[in-house]
Amino acid sequence: MRRLSFFLPSFLLLLLWQAGSVFGWWNAFLLPSPQAVGETFLTLLLNGTLFRHLQASLGRVLVGTGLAFAAGFPLGVFFGLFPRGCAPFLPILDFFRHTPPLALIPLLILWLGIGEASKIAVIILASFFPVFLNTLGGVAACDRKLIEVGRSFGLSRGAIFRTILLPSIFPHVLTGMRLALGFGFRALIGAELVAAASGLGYMIHDAEMLSRSDAVIVGILAIGILGSLLDALVLKVSSRIAPWAFQEDDVHGRP
Amino acid sequence: MDALDIRNLRKEFLFDGGRFPALKGITLSIPAGMFAVFVGKSGCGKTTLLRLVAGLEEPTEGTVGVRGGGAPLRTGIVFQEPRLFPWLTVEENIAFSYRSMGKRPTEETLSALIESLGLTAFRRAHPSRISGGMAQRASLGRTLLYDPDIILMDEPFSALDYFTRAALRDDLLHLWQERRKTVLFVTHDVDEALCLGQRIHVMDRGEVVRIFDVEDDYPRDIASMSGLKREILDAIGNGTCCGAHHAKEKAAEA
Repeated sequence: MRRLSFFLPSFLLLLLWQAGSVFGWWNAFLLPSPQAVGETFLTLLLNGTLFRHLQASLGRVLVGTGLAFAAGFPLGVFFGLFPRGCAPFLPILDFFRHTPPLALIPLLILWLGIGEASKIAVIILASFFPVFLNTLGGVAACDRKLIEVGRSFGLSRGAIFRTILLPSIFPHVLTGMRLALGFGFRALIGAELVAAASGLGYMIHDAEMLSRSDAVIVGILAIGILGSLLDALVLKVSSRIAPWAFQEDDVHGRP
Repeated sequence: MDALDIRNLRKEFLFDGGRFPALKGITLSIPAGMFAVFVGKSGCGKTTLLRLVAGLEEPTEGTVGVRGGGAPLRTGIVFQEPRLFPWLTVEENIAFSYRSMGKRPTEETLSALIESLGLTAFRRAHPSRISGGMAQRASLGRTLLYDPDIILMDEPFSALDYFTRAALRDDLLHLWQERRKTVLFVTHDVDEALCLGQRIHVMDRGEVVRIFDVEDDYPRDIASMSGLKREILDAIGNGTCCGAHHAKEKAAEA
């Protein structure tokens, strides 16, 4: 019952869309009816088009955010542990943080070509900072009183790092990863709209060229649903790994 | 045999370009197995003394050690707040000193300790799920399992309600009578000092001003100790306190 009421607003929105289409509140070309979109969805699903593009986008996002994590997490920890030594590098990072990855696409294509590498670079640029900054914030927010407990038991710096610092920043890193997936995904769609031969962004671009607004909407829905599912998956997996980090948290709470 | 030997221990905190003398040259020794209490107003230096013994602060001058040198002092501290790790269960928190070395205490030892702390029903709960009193018991257990030569306690019960405090005090006495560890217990509560201490050190403005040896058997009837209580209150005095700890926090902010 609670589950039903949870989806009620979404259902009402769908109903509104349907009503508008039936009563002709808007031009069917500008916003096709749910049935038309549903039919296109089925066609694209059954002929494998949707799946192929979805796979392309998802693969890029996973590789890109994975690489962003591999760079952002250790750097965040390092900057957090040695804030003074690292401070001179902050202006450079700040510069790139304020540069939208899409603005760099022309250069990225020039340097890396129009293949996978440039798309993955866009994702890395977009998702590096959420991971890096949240990790950095986590280290800074680590409770010194807990570190002191480690010292009082005579633990080495390495042991304090492993047994106290790392677990205590986990929720922050997790928030960073969730944001990174969202940021990376959005940036990727942008990149695919501009220059790609596959992916959900390309699918939308292709449909736009053919004036198929129904297919555009299928692409948008696929992106939104895939993004939500990814987020829910990350949350589910991490609440398994670290239940203590979620006891106060609403399962559907956004970071 | 003395468990603890403190010689001319001085500690100054620097802040805003000024110096705050938190401890002004303390010399004292505490025999092994004694329950020693340090009582005084907030800012009298009692917490600083404990932190120096724990090795969490470096002395400006003087030494903390075992008489005749020898092996370094193994101390365990119970803080004012439980300071449990939120990502570990009660049981894992208690076994933390083992975990951090990649070892595990024997199931018997761990179970017996958890049982004696009255935490058996909560051993797999996370700290956010238990009460303040239970959390402080777990914190005490964590230090007991570490098995230090000296247990340092920094107003461990002051954040708890009256009834929990009384219950924990009894439990602590019980555990101490079983194990006969040396305990240094810091409090601002004179009744607590009377209830627990074999030797009560009264501190004021960075100095130990009076020492009382209390021979009474446990459990004690505080009501019958009003004469001693009067003396301790007089020794604590009415002098104003500047607050070493606040001074230190200021220094940290600067």
